[in-house]
Amino acid sequence: MLRRTFLSLTLGTAMALSGAFSATAQAEELTIFWAEWDPANYLQELANIYTAETGVTITVQTTPWPDFQTKTFAEFNAKGDAFDMVVGDSQWTGAGSTGGHYVDLTDFYAKHKVLDSMAPATVKAYAEYPGNSGKYWSIPLEGDAAGWAYRKDWFEDPKEMEAFKAKYGYDLAVPKTYKELRDIAEFFYRPDEKRDGIAIYTDNSYDAMLMGIEGTIFSYGGELGDYSTYKVDGILNTPTNAEAVEMYKQLYGFTPPNWGKTFFQESNQAITENLAAMSLNFFAFFPALANKATNPNADVTGYFANPAGPGGAQHAALGGQGISIVSYSKKQEESMKFLEWFIKEETQKKWAELGGYTCNKAVLESEAFRKATPYNEAFYQTMFMVKDFWAVPEYAELLTQINNNIYPYIISGEGGSAQAVLDNVAKEWTETFKKYGRGG
Amino acid sequence: MAVVTSSRKKVWNRVAIAAVLVIAIAFLSPLYWIGSTAFKPRSLATSVPPTVFFQPEITPFIKLFTKRVQLTKPVDPAVYDAAPWYEQRIYDGGERILRVGPNIQMSQYPNRFMNSLIVAIISTFLAVSMGTITAYGFSRFKMAGESDWLFFILSTRMLPPIVVAIPMYLMYRTVGLNDSHIGLIILYTAFNLSFSVWLMKGFMDEIPKEYEEAALVDGYTRMQSFFKIVLPEAVTGIAATSVFCFITAWNEYAFALIMTNRRAQTAPPFIPSQIGSGLADWTVIAAGTFLFILPVAIFTFMLRNHLLRGVTFGAIRK
Amino acid sequence: MAGLATLHPSSKAAARGWSDLTIRNLFIIPTLLFLIIFNVFPLIYSLGYSFTDFRASVNEPVKFVGLANYRELLNDPRIWNNFWVTAKYVMVSVTGQMVIGFGLALLLNRKIPAKGLITTLLMLPMMMSAAVVGLFWRLLYDPSWGPLNYVLGLGNLAWLSDANLALYAVAITDIWMWAPFVMLLSLAGLSAVPQHLYEAAAIDRAGSWYTFFHITLPLVSPLLLIALIFRTMEAFKTFDIAYILSTQPTTELVSIKLYKFAFQEWQTGKSCALAYIVLIMVLAITNIYVKYLNKAKER
Repeated sequence: MLRRTFLSLTLGTAMALSGAFSATAQAEELTIFWAEWDPANYLQELANIYTAETGVTITVQTTPWPDFQTKTFAEFNAKGDAFDMVVGDSQWTGAGSTGGHYVDLTDFYAKHKVLDSMAPATVKAYAEYPGNSGKYWSIPLEGDAAGWAYRKDWFEDPKEMEAFKAKYGYDLAVPKTYKELRDIAEFFYRPDEKRDGIAIYTDNSYDAMLMGIEGTIFSYGGELGDYSTYKVDGILNTPTNAEAVEMYKQLYGFTPPNWGKTFFQESNQAITENLAAMSLNFFAFFPALANKATNPNADVTGYFANPAGPGGAQHAALGGQGISIVSYSKKQEESMKFLEWFIKEETQKKWAELGGYTCNKAVLESEAFRKATPYNEAFYQTMFMVKDFWAVPEYAELLTQINNNIYPYIISGEGGSAQAVLDNVAKEWTETFKKYGRGG
Repeated sequence: MAVVTSSRKKVWNRVAIAAVLVIAIAFLSPLYWIGSTAFKPRSLATSVPPTVFFQPEITPFIKLFTKRVQLTKPVDPAVYDAAPWYEQRIYDGGERILRVGPNIQMSQYPNRFMNSLIVAIISTFLAVSMGTITAYGFSRFKMAGESDWLFFILSTRMLPPIVVAIPMYLMYRTVGLNDSHIGLIILYTAFNLSFSVWLMKGFMDEIPKEYEEAALVDGYTRMQSFFKIVLPEAVTGIAATSVFCFITAWNEYAFALIMTNRRAQTAPPFIPSQIGSGLADWTVIAAGTFLFILPVAIFTFMLRNHLLRGVTFGAIRK
Repeated sequence: MAGLATLHPSSKAAARGWSDLTIRNLFIIPTLLFLIIFNVFPLIYSLGYSFTDFRASVNEPVKFVGLANYRELLNDPRIWNNFWVTAKYVMVSVTGQMVIGFGLALLLNRKIPAKGLITTLLMLPMMMSAAVVGLFWRLLYDPSWGPLNYVLGLGNLAWLSDANLALYAVAITDIWMWAPFVMLLSLAGLSAVPQHLYEAAAIDRAGSWYTFFHITLPLVSPLLLIALIFRTMEAFKTFDIAYILSTQPTTELVSIKLYKFAFQEWQTGKSCALAYIVLIMVLAITNIYVKYLNKAKER
């Protein structure tokens, strides 16, 4: 009796296994891998149109942001063909191209005149590696940058305006400089009233916190290093950059309680739950704020571009991704056909309508796009002043090193001073570049 | 005197029952809260003060099973009125269900759930059956270096899985076991095997060898006596071992995340990904968790009578 | 092992059917082979890599670097911090689980209405995926939108952002999940204490403290030790919960560091070296534990 049970169980096992194996992919099916966020859903919707036109099924597979990098590179390094295309972070172009994971799209660029249709800044940021080499590895897909959402009703409350003017000597309005940003954050920081000044990124598990700090450094006129000579010392650890880091630490002081591991969702929640007057976020996360069904304060939420630093420079951290074909995919031809369709102007228009951030010059500059949502105008302005992090293959190590040093300083004040912390990062980055034989 | 003790005992008993209740409530309230979130409207999931009583709804489950996208502005009333009720619930939440042509696009949840079932059931079966026979082997037969082998088996459980993950990952990549059911089944069997051997050995040691000897005298072969005498005696142990192996395999996250993708990925990495994009939607992960815990809970409940005795590792003699 | 009869492979039962030797080999060897292939073999593989600068993410020739990875790791104060954090975490979380789990079992070890139901319900936390538990507890702990601080009246206590508090917050979550496991083992032990021993103690008018320390505890201790062993092992391996709850340097457990080296930075060689350092420590701890376990079983 028992033996029969064993036998049937074994048989069942074998059958389940064979069933599992027959479920392999069909020919007319492409998989695009991206992180879990609204743009990926918009892309799925766009791809569904392609399916209707051609019969080729496209699945946009997603994974949460913190795992996105790990999962992609685990698949790359296994030379796996689970994904035909990947919508990869701009920092990955180095690792993707030198590691042989991305298909070289330089010929595709020439054949389809991609440079004529896409905004040059986006091609540079998402597609070209090494810088100025004329070699392209992806098609700019989702333009993105960091910007701010704010509570118009709080800003326009006459009582608040009066109190603000009395305290700071100038009018309460959308901040044009980081100093104003700081003042407003301080002004609205009232923990007793369950109301706080500002929401910023502080998650150090990937690049979240760095996006906030980097934007501040860029607006202060600073750089993270010389991206062509790999020189870091004296460029990263300048007194100006230390001031910028110091500013970020000050802003952290005006955040809602327990703001030590926050990213886009918490930033949006700070607005929907009436926690903060201003909130840093990537533009791609703003759709949830624009809709009354998800944000009760949608009508009183405004948006502005990253403010300028003390020197007048104004920049923002670049987000967004380009789409690349994975070199281990067995359906590269089919993928190319999709990209051809994707870069058409009608497709790009449709992409923008669905909610994607097109990088197509003509669509981006059109009146229709800039008026389409309450935040598109701020987005449009921001895309002309974006700067990005290192795109070298070992960027993940650089990320860990800067997180290791800056995070404890911002959150707990460890590490002495902003200058000391930056000196330390400069030292570690220089060592890392030396280890991989970069620069002189 | 005797009366005094018994009344003191009664008071003690009441205090103990009260304490149990307090602790149980402390332990169970997060559970209630997770479970109830699966039936809440999104806005109530993060309300302070927390919402305890509310009108339950099944919107989170509709969300769990469909592919959705955030709307940037409220939907056109005409479109809303024409939509079926479940789609209206999604519109109410500021989202829209994706469609391929006229068909609603389903999420990957059912698929991942199936993968979890396949991987967890087969790997549990393998780990428990291999563990049972190996435990019997160690319990009944002499073997050179027996305690060293047992130590070796235990030590495989002590490693943080991530230690094995690196070489395992490299090995799988050469053999091509990435993103396959078999790959995960092998991994989870390996995780659970040591636990299963140790747990089962305690049981085998407890089963009096006289039973088998009597059977051998009656003309049974050793194999027959194992299947007909020993296994039925060990049912309690097998049940308890299965529960624990199943729980481990069912919930494993890190390897499923790293080693599998579209084809074989199980539900644990999928559920957290449903937190939403622009704004956290706790109701969907709560719904996913709620359905996902059911098979384990049912399995455990069915075997509950074996559990108490089952976890003793043979440390308690009859 | 102690006192348990073992049939010798050459006993006369071997006359019928398969010989005992065949059965023994058939029963034991596949398991050992399986474990060797999937545990020992990968470890040999990675031992080799631990002496190189191999990076799985790039197509560059692999260079032999000798002990450089080990030297770098052991000289890195951050790695020592990881070990210190892990030790602290294991201590806090395991102690908490043992105290609460055993305490609960003592309380439950009497006639209580709906005892079976309560016991089964209490086991639900450990049936959940640690990743989901981590996510939900992050929400629970949040002072702005989580219920915990509101219910306990803790105001704006920043559980996870406070560098000193975060590790305890992670440990509390782990305790919530696994104290019921200890409870289950303890209950099994307690229910096996023969009632007549208590009756005898009552006749001798022994105090309840005396009864507890001289009757209950000694009889339950082997099971408590097993619970301790398994919980320590699991706590040492903790990854998902801690990784999802907090990214403070003060909560960076060794397994998180390993994960970062291996799967975020793709420093494969270095991660293998760290894996080996962990392996050696773990084997040392296992050895000590198993010795105690054997002693306890012999009692």
